[in-house]
Parts: sequence; structure tokens; C-alpha cells
Amino acid sequence: MIKRKKNVFVRFITNPKVQPFLSVILPVALGLFIFILWQTQVLHKLLHTDTFTLPLPSQINQIIGDNIPKIITNVKSTVLVAVIGLTIGSLIGYLIAVIATVFPKWGAGGLSIVAAFNAIPIVALAPVMTNWTKDVSKDASVRSMVAKILVVMIVSIATMSVNAYRGLNDLPVFSLDLMKSYAAKRRIVFLKLRLPNSVPYIFTALRVGVPSSVISAIVSEYFAEYITGVGRQIRENIVIAQYATAWAYIAVACIIGISMYCILMIFEGILLRNRRS
Amino acid sequence: MSEMLKEEWKKEIEIKIDDVCMSFKDNSGNDVQALNHINLAIHKGEFISLLGPSGCGKTTLLRTIADLLEPTTGKVRISGMTPKEIRLQQKFGIVFQSPVLFEWRTVKKNVELPLEIMYWSKEERSKQADKMLELVGLTKFADHYPKQLSGGMQQRVGIARAFGIKPNILLMDEPFSALDEFTKEKLHDDLLKMWRETNKTVIFVTHNIQEAVYLSDKVCVLSPHPGRLSAVVDIDLERPRNIRMKESQHFTDLVAKVRNSFEGGSL
Repeated sequence: MIKRKKNVFVRFITNPKVQPFLSVILPVALGLFIFILWQTQVLHKLLHTDTFTLPLPSQINQIIGDNIPKIITNVKSTVLVAVIGLTIGSLIGYLIAVIATVFPKWGAGGLSIVAAFNAIPIVALAPVMTNWTKDVSKDASVRSMVAKILVVMIVSIATMSVNAYRGLNDLPVFSLDLMKSYAAKRRIVFLKLRLPNSVPYIFTALRVGVPSSVISAIVSEYFAEYITGVGRQIRENIVIAQYATAWAYIAVACIIGISMYCILMIFEGILLRNRRS
Repeated sequence: MSEMLKEEWKKEIEIKIDDVCMSFKDNSGNDVQALNHINLAIHKGEFISLLGPSGCGKTTLLRTIADLLEPTTGKVRISGMTPKEIRLQQKFGIVFQSPVLFEWRTVKKNVELPLEIMYWSKEERSKQADKMLELVGLTKFADHYPKQLSGGMQQRVGIARAFGIKPNILLMDEPFSALDEFTKEKLHDDLLKMWRETNKTVIFVTHNIQEAVYLSDKVCVLSPHPGRLSAVVDIDLERPRNIRMKESQHFTDLVAKVRNSFEGGSL
């Protein structure tokens, strides 16, 4: 009897029709479970903390609701930095990959140097950029913005150039021979083979680049001269011990990251829909 | 085309392989003789197989004809021209071991790819692709993407693409080796039908003796270490061929004859 019950259960969870739902339901259930522990203060007991340092979800929600206009201003600032930095950085990164492909002799070597930018910590980069952009504008908000965009840009360049280079050069077997047999010129090979082949790799880069651009924007806000952005609000509120407000901005930062990632996934789903079996 | 005219065509030598040698350096720096003094004349409109075990240089020889490789010594002449000149005139149709379809293009757009490179007009491209897809029986799948097709269907698209450019010479490098037996037999007959209708010279690389005998006018047997041409066996089975012929004594005899012509006897 018991054995039969187990079989039904195993059959249910391994059913291919049920699995997509399970892969959504299980993480959501886990999240809800943690929220319940948090809201009922079980979490506080486990972590030996109090509702002042770790405010309840209901409190955080309350603060978000009360400060919507102010939050929107800060979100705009952060998203603007992340999106502009990511866009410019990715374009430059792609361009570097193209140049490295066109000049293969030093291309791969040059690319490893660019890839090394990936290893520079944002925490180190942000103050340097703030210092470098001192004279860009008389307006503190503008020069802060430029400094933050530069940080996001540098982080994005490395990710994109390495992935795009792979997309431009990891071609299907025999595809170069095929193009050669058609006497296709380099320009044609680039336009009809390398470029379209690199599209999925662009998305691979953006899957890393989108979250890291939000993180870079938030961290660089900590060191910026002008006080604005979700990251800066987290810092300012922790300094004045407004933990509930700080947590509200942490929640908002999560939402920004998740929404931008979702938008990327939707674009990827549309643009790459034919490449999957 | 009348049989007589076809016979006439066959007399004209199209491809002349003249004392071709090819050597590589392997990873440990030793010279490897991939092709050793190959001499071969291929007539216009012939269906030739290059048959041999792995390492006999059959693919190397095919790639030399296609100007994807240059021989170390010796030369290949095609209608009096170098392979490079023929390649630059876009007169080679090539089918590889894998279909090499571009996954971002529909089936039809894949067939149109070489025609785009050759600057055909949009209408002509579309017309030609439709015609080729009809020949390989994939009209219904014109707007599908490669990943939606089975391996056999993908290889058919590759064949349609190769025939589409109206090549003089069709080079096929083990095109059916990854397919199951049933699909393979169907594609053999489709290929022979297309060959008969278009009168191309076909050079077909394979390691399958039955396949070589069934398809070809001549089977060129290559032996490895060093890669050399050990025999050319004429296949005088009547055309058009059909699957029943594989059960005939004559077919079996030819297969045995080909097998026995490998140097070193048993493989």
C-alpha cells in the first residue's frame, strides 16, 4: 500500500507536464515559507536579532507604500546609470570582439587583457572614477552620473567582448568551408555567418551583464559625490539607523534586478525562439 | 537527354588528378603521408565513389579537389582549370558529414544562402529554392527552422542547397554516415534521381562498400598508411538502380570484388 502511494507521487513529480509548474511552485513556496518565518518573527529568534535591525516584511511594505514618489526618483537614477552603462559598455565590448576577429593575430591576446578588467573590483573602481571625473562638469549631479556610468561600462565591456568573440568565432563545423566553397568574401562571411551566429552569445553576456550592471550602479552610488540612487539610499539610511527604510530600498534594488532580468528573458525568448528545438 | 548523348558526355574527362601527394606533420612532428601519388581521371557526368577506411585520405582527396586544401605536390585540373578557379566561379556544390544548416534561417532561406552570395535576384532565388525543395520533397517544410527537422530531412536540405547553385561538380563527404539505414536507402534513391535529372559529376566519399557499389559508376578504393589508390572498380549494374538490385548475385559479386581490392587483404 505504501509502496503504491510512493509510485503515484514519483510519477506525479516526474511527469513532464507537471515539471514546469513544479519548477515555479517550489521556489515560490520556499520564498513564502521564509516570509512567513520572517513575519512571525521566528527568523528573528533563529538569528538572535530584533525587529529594529531586521524589520518585518509588513513594515518594509508600509514604508515602500508611503515613499513611492521618492523611491521612483531614486529608481530612475539607478536604472538610468545601469542601462546607459550597460548599453555603451556592451557596444564597445562587441566592437572590441569584432576588431579581435578581424585581426586574429593579436585579437585573442588583446582580448585576454580586456577580460582582465573583469577582475577589477567595483569597490576599487568607483572611487577612482569619481576622482577622474572631477572636472567633467560643474554640476555635481552630472559628474557623479558620468562616474557611475563609467564604472558600469567598464564592467560590461569585459563580459560582452569575451562572449561576443566566442560567438563570432565558435562557428558550426564546416560552416567556414561551406562559405569558402561559395567563394564568399570575408565581409559576406562576417554578415551572413559570424554576426548571426553571435546573437545567442550576446544574450549570454547580457544574462551576466544585466544583474552586474545593477550591482555596479548601486555600489558606485555609495562612492559618488551626488546623493541619489537606490544604493545611496541604502547607505544613507543605515548611517542614520533607519533600518526599515534601508530595507525598503534593498527590496526595491531586488525588484529592479529581477525586472530587468525578466525583460531580458522576454527579448531572448522572442529573438531566439527559432534556435531551440 | 538521350542515352547516346549521355554516353558521349561521359567520354569527356572533367577532373584530372595528376600525381597528387599530401603530407602533414602530426602532433609529435612526424611526417604523415595522407595521399601518396594519386592519379585519377573522372569523366563528365560520372558518379564516382572514393571508398576506404578512416585514415585512407579519401576526405583529404575530396578537399583537395574542392580547393579547401592544397596538395603538397602534384596538381588537380578541372576542365583545364585549377580547383581555385573553379571554386571562385562557384561551380562546386558540397555536402558535408553534417548538414551545416544555419539555425537562424528557415529551410528555404538556407537553400537560398549560396544564391544570395552569388547575387541572384530575390525572385529567382525564391523560385530556385522552391524548385529544389520540391525535388527533395520538403516543400511543406520551407518555412520551418532546421531544429524542427529530423537528421535525414536536414541532410536533404543540405543536398537541395548543393544542387541549387547549379554546380558542375557535386562533392559529397560521407553525407549519409550519421543517418539510419531506412533514411539512408531513401536518400540514395533521391540522390540518384536528382543526379540523373541534372547530369552533374558526383564525387562521393564513403566508408560503406554497399553504398559505394549501389550509387556509383566507378568505385575508387583507397588504402591507408600511406593513403593510396589501390583499385578502381567499374560498377556495371544497370541504371536506374533500385533497391532490389542489392539482392542480386551481381551486386554481391561486385561488393566482394571491391572488398578484395583493399590492399593488405582483410581490414
